[in-house]
Amino acid sequence: MSTAFFTFLAAFLVVTALTASEAQDMLSAVIALSVFGVLMAIIFVILQAPDVALTQAIINSGLVTSLFLVAYSQTQKRGDDPDREDDR
Amino acid sequence: MRVHRNLQRLGALGLSLALGWWLWQGVTISPFQGITGPAARYIHGTARDTGAANVVAAILFDYRGFDTLGEASVIYTTVCGVALLFAKRRYRRSSHGLSFIVKRGMALLVPFILLYASSIIVMGHLSPGGGFQGGAVMATVTVLFCVIYGSSFEAARVSPKVKETIESSGALLFTAIGLIGLVTGGAFLTNSAAGFPRGMMGHLVSGGTIPLLNIAVGMKVGAGLSTLFYSMVKILEDPTESSPPEV
Repeated sequence: MSTAFFTFLAAFLVVTALTASEAQDMLSAVIALSVFGVLMAIIFVILQAPDVALTQAIINSGLVTSLFLVAYSQTQKRGDDPDREDDR
Repeated sequence: MRVHRNLQRLGALGLSLALGWWLWQGVTISPFQGITGPAARYIHGTARDTGAANVVAAILFDYRGFDTLGEASVIYTTVCGVALLFAKRRYRRSSHGLSFIVKRGMALLVPFILLYASSIIVMGHLSPGGGFQGGAVMATVTVLFCVIYGSSFEAARVSPKVKETIESSGALLFTAIGLIGLVTGGAFLTNSAAGFPRGMMGHLVSGGTIPLLNIAVGMKVGAGLSTLFYSMVKILEDPTESSPPEV
């Protein structure tokens, strides 16, 4: 596997991780986390850990995303996160 | 306050960079540098000791079978906890699901997804995968059912009791296979020393207890994760609701 491809994956991994942690919109954060999981699974395959890659792909992209979406749809939204007040 | 927060962020950045550098090392080291320590012992001894082609499965279900039982009971406890938390929850109205085309497409796909999940479970000792991964794929099918057919579709056909029974019998099967080892005079979860046939390496019937334990874990994880999702959704049939449109 070429190093350039791995570099691209790693850089994109950082972008999705930052999006997941810093996005204002909760849904965008959940989807970014899902993309993060898929990229992580590809990286696990490159690092020759197919067992872990299978688990990562299914759990992180399938089940965790759906559980987050259920939790999102069943909780109340009361404005923005108060933790972010001093950032703006 | 602000300085403290910035310091925290700087620390988090440093930690991330260190971990990223560590991950980066994985691509630059050569895999043929020579394997030493416990890894060498596992790689050289797996075929002789267990007859399984997948070293990871052999370690999970033979050498470290007891740890896997502990891991499985962690999932069991989690599912019990979530089901308990949402036990008092009143059900909401169920949706009718997505359009006709999506429903038919899903109906065509489901057998293949289930076949894939079963192959991951049954061939866990031959190829990458195993009970946990295959069970998770099975649970994903029920999640897809909830999304595409509406949440009452699967809950009306497979009652939570059935899933709980499958999960518990998976755990019981795992423990019973372990107890066979005790009965024959070995340790708990003994594999080939307890008389289980090792078989030919690479054949479907090989690896002694490993395929059976894979099936037990698959039952447990599949039913458990599905229960987890449905106890969070918790949408049963609403008696006041009109029947969904015919498909």
